[in-house]
Amino acid sequence: MEEKGIISTIQRYSIKDGPGIRSTVFMSGCNLRCKWCSNPELLDMSPKYMYFENRCVRCGSCVDTAVNNSISLSSNGCIIDREMCTNLDECMEICPKEAFEKIGMEITADDLVKKLLRDKVFYSQSGGGTTFSGGEPALQARFVIEAAQKLRQYGINTALDTAGAVKWDILSDIINHMDVVLYDIKTYKTKNHIAFTGIDNGIILENAQRIAKLKKDMIVRLIIVPGFNDSWEDLISRVNFVKTLGSSVKRIDFIQYHTLGVGKYKRLGMKYQITKIKKLDTKLIEKVMKIAADTGIKVTLQ
Amino acid sequence: MEFLEFIPQQEKDIDLERIHRLRKTMQNRRASICSERARLITESFRRTEGEDYILRKAEAFAYILEHMTIYIQKDSLIFGNQASCNFAAPIFPEYSIDWVINELDEFDQRSGDIFQISAQVKQELREIAVYWHGNTHEDEVMKNTTTYILQAEKQGILHRGGISMSGDGHIVPDYALILQKGLRWFLNEAKMKLSDKSLTKENKSFYKAVIISLEGALHFIKRYSALAYKLAEIETDITRKQELLVIGKMCEALMEQPVQNFYEGCETCYLVHILQMIESNGHSFCYGRFDQYMYNLYERDIQKGTITKEKALEIITHLFLMNSSNNKVRPYGHTKFSQGYPLYSNLMISGYKPDCSDGTNELSYLCIEAMNLTKMAEPNFSMRYNKNTPRSLVRLAAKLIRTGCGMPSMFNDEVIIKSLENLGIPSKDARDYCAIGCVEIGIPGKYGHRSTGMTYVNWGKLLEIMLYNGVDPDSGIQMLQINGKQGSSINYNNYDEVWKAWEKVLRFYSDIAVDCDRICDNSLAFYDSDPFASCFVDNCMKLGKTLKNGGAKYDVISQSNIGPIIVGNALAVIKKLIFDDKKITWNQLLSAIKENWTGKEAMHIHKLVKQVPKFGNDEDYVDNIVKDVFNSYLKLLPDYKTNRYGKGPEISCYTMSTSNITSYVPNGFAVGATPDGRTARSPLNEGCSPTQGTDKNGPTAVINSVAKLPNEKIAAGQLLNMRFSPGTLAGNENLDKFIDFLEASVLKGIFHNQFNVVGTKTLLDAKKYPENYTDLIVRVAGYCAQFVSLMPETQDAIIARTENNW
Repeated sequence: MEEKGIISTIQRYSIKDGPGIRSTVFMSGCNLRCKWCSNPELLDMSPKYMYFENRCVRCGSCVDTAVNNSISLSSNGCIIDREMCTNLDECMEICPKEAFEKIGMEITADDLVKKLLRDKVFYSQSGGGTTFSGGEPALQARFVIEAAQKLRQYGINTALDTAGAVKWDILSDIINHMDVVLYDIKTYKTKNHIAFTGIDNGIILENAQRIAKLKKDMIVRLIIVPGFNDSWEDLISRVNFVKTLGSSVKRIDFIQYHTLGVGKYKRLGMKYQITKIKKLDTKLIEKVMKIAADTGIKVTLQ
Repeated sequence: MEFLEFIPQQEKDIDLERIHRLRKTMQNRRASICSERARLITESFRRTEGEDYILRKAEAFAYILEHMTIYIQKDSLIFGNQASCNFAAPIFPEYSIDWVINELDEFDQRSGDIFQISAQVKQELREIAVYWHGNTHEDEVMKNTTTYILQAEKQGILHRGGISMSGDGHIVPDYALILQKGLRWFLNEAKMKLSDKSLTKENKSFYKAVIISLEGALHFIKRYSALAYKLAEIETDITRKQELLVIGKMCEALMEQPVQNFYEGCETCYLVHILQMIESNGHSFCYGRFDQYMYNLYERDIQKGTITKEKALEIITHLFLMNSSNNKVRPYGHTKFSQGYPLYSNLMISGYKPDCSDGTNELSYLCIEAMNLTKMAEPNFSMRYNKNTPRSLVRLAAKLIRTGCGMPSMFNDEVIIKSLENLGIPSKDARDYCAIGCVEIGIPGKYGHRSTGMTYVNWGKLLEIMLYNGVDPDSGIQMLQINGKQGSSINYNNYDEVWKAWEKVLRFYSDIAVDCDRICDNSLAFYDSDPFASCFVDNCMKLGKTLKNGGAKYDVISQSNIGPIIVGNALAVIKKLIFDDKKITWNQLLSAIKENWTGKEAMHIHKLVKQVPKFGNDEDYVDNIVKDVFNSYLKLLPDYKTNRYGKGPEISCYTMSTSNITSYVPNGFAVGATPDGRTARSPLNEGCSPTQGTDKNGPTAVINSVAKLPNEKIAAGQLLNMRFSPGTLAGNENLDKFIDFLEASVLKGIFHNQFNVVGTKTLLDAKKYPENYTDLIVRVAGYCAQFVSLMPETQDAIIARTENNW
């Protein structure tokens, strides 16, 4: 059967999502709600409309078009009542500028693969390939599997960038078609995990162990958000856990919190939950990285 | 941090402090106008009235060399000067003089490429101008210029720039032969030739002129000997004193005989380089494949133990730095097309040897290290690479690119050699190609003068007049009627008609441009008589002719066509919105353009226009149209002939190039809004690079788009400029991926690629605080320039290039 998936974009020349030069497919839908999420447009699968205040010329076209008086004009641009405005598609159409952008499109696995194949020379030259990211790509398992199967037929390396909070039978199915798994471990203590991401991390840690048992190559990603998961205790317990995964883990990436996604919240009419952020204790990070590296595993800071 | 990878063993052999001082001197140098050459050539010409022009030029050359001020640059092992002081531009009144006088009071008032000028120099130039007025190359060109050309110029379509008022340049002498034989040998050859009874008058004058010029050059070299000894006497620093004595000794016999060692070899290259730039004010006198022809000398010295790697690196670095001491002044109108005081002195490394083995050697690596120490805009440093280039060399090049200096620019052997073979050039010669100037390609010692940049043709303007039935909306001039009727109104019923109109406009103006080339070339054949430069290029000595008279073995030229991507993107919009999807009408598009996309309706159309695929995003729809645009020009070329066709060259033909220096900015000034969504008066696209800011799918998509073009037929150079943010190249892993990207580009069939690795923030800051950024070198278009020396509009165009950043 021809599977369709919902994606936002394909990012080419991705150099941070696995080995070599890659194309990263950003897939819509996520089952975590991390407070620091930098891709809020991918939280669920419905189409999202971003409003770019700087592109808006305050012409009022959308005000007239929007149903239920759901858009009003202020000097700072349009104020959109996202619940009441059920015809943002039309508003986007009528806008004379490109002040609205729709995020999320349906695509067949075949079409996706065709697009990805365009960079085949770059993948083969660099040992790169395709990374399925998101959101949580494992939520669109059938689509990802079909695309990955086809890619592998062309000899293209595949990677899954997952938070791992998916039933094992589904996740293991996907992983069968992947060469590499990029695996996020966001915090260690269950209580914290629930508080920061909305879900229990029991299944995440379990799945990590199961993947390791399969001897699948893993790149473990440890995000560090000051004030949330940057304590010595949190970091060291995550590192110690990763060490128990053994030789499957080829690399640990420490990923520093960044605010590049903050603008998106405003454009989506959402509220960014982190208001204040402490500075990262770089000395502490260095120390943790040293400990992480002492078993000979490759460690990076991004 | 001084070196990219080099680890010096003999630290005393490379004086880094001195290199820093020399670089500082060059970074802070100020351009000025020097009247000395102008005065001397006038004196000489007054005495040689009535003689053959080429002999008068040769005698003047020798006279200038005998009387001009010479100096040895402090801190430098390499010496030789083009004008009376560092970064002074000599004046060449024999090519053109009126603009010099007209702009005398404006040289130091320009918004970019400023030149200081003293009252005395102004006075002197005014005095000599009388002698030249009406008798220059420019006057001759103007006399023969047709109304057609003048009208096309008024329309902003044609621009003659350099070749209508200055020498042609663009020469790579056969350096290998010069090093192997010495100038005296060439001189003796000319003497021998002269004894042949069957010579024509042209031949005789040529050989005589060669003899006079080379005698002058040899004498010039000896003047440095005397100067060096004199300076040595008063020098208090023992090391420098010793160096000056070595220079003194070297110059006693330099070029009287074959070159003796590596240092002499480097010095010889530099002297020949500046001598060409004293003979003529063409630019792009190039070093060619420096690491190839210097390697024997280097290897011999290393084996004998007379030089260390460190010393060689020091000498090369000094040679590189000294290139920043030379200068050229152009009329302001032309300066806009070539900003940043460029000389385009290209120096190339690596690539296949004529026998098809890879030519990478130790000097290839040392040259990259030297360029890293130099970090100036000259020499224009480039590198050839292919499937067999050692990854270690590509890595070193990538490390230099990463520093943000824009060099080396990378030339793909696999495509370029084929493009030359497609012209009929034998593989052995094709494999020996080098860059001449920016991205122009030629065979060192076998090409005569510029392979591109004859007449500039503004394709953005061609597109614009096509919308108006041949009428230029700015000047109102109509030179052709697409539908056979006067006036600007035209109705296109389908895309095919639009395409045919494009072909018609292109043919009409390309024909005029070729006429324009001929007129300039005809005059240059006389006024750019260059016995010194000619005698080092095959087959001038054999045929007894200068390059412009047919002496060159290969005579391949091209125009500079600016804005092919704008044209392709615009045609794609017309095709898709008006004819395929029928979303808008021709008149709607036209009125939106006339309103420059402002007003509610026009804005809405602009939005639709922007949503049509643009070149550089790997979208076949538009990429194929851009390809058609390239082919529409290639199709015309077999009909075009140069003046020298059948008069000597073994191959004589036209080819294509997208090398366009900074002309995409002023050409854009002349063009209103275009159907691709471009706003009025903004820059056109640069080379074959995507229009600024329209490539949104990253660098691999750009490569994929460009790979679809007929690159193997653009034999005079296909320019692609890309910008990466510093972050994307930081660290070993990212660097490795960038190297993979470069290597994949070779496989993809990219002709050439050059990189700016500077963040937008830095550029904006540099625009605001130029004094803090004298060391910021950016890729302009096939060459590099000090960012702060550019006009604000050009700075903006560079800032607007898409930054690949993630």
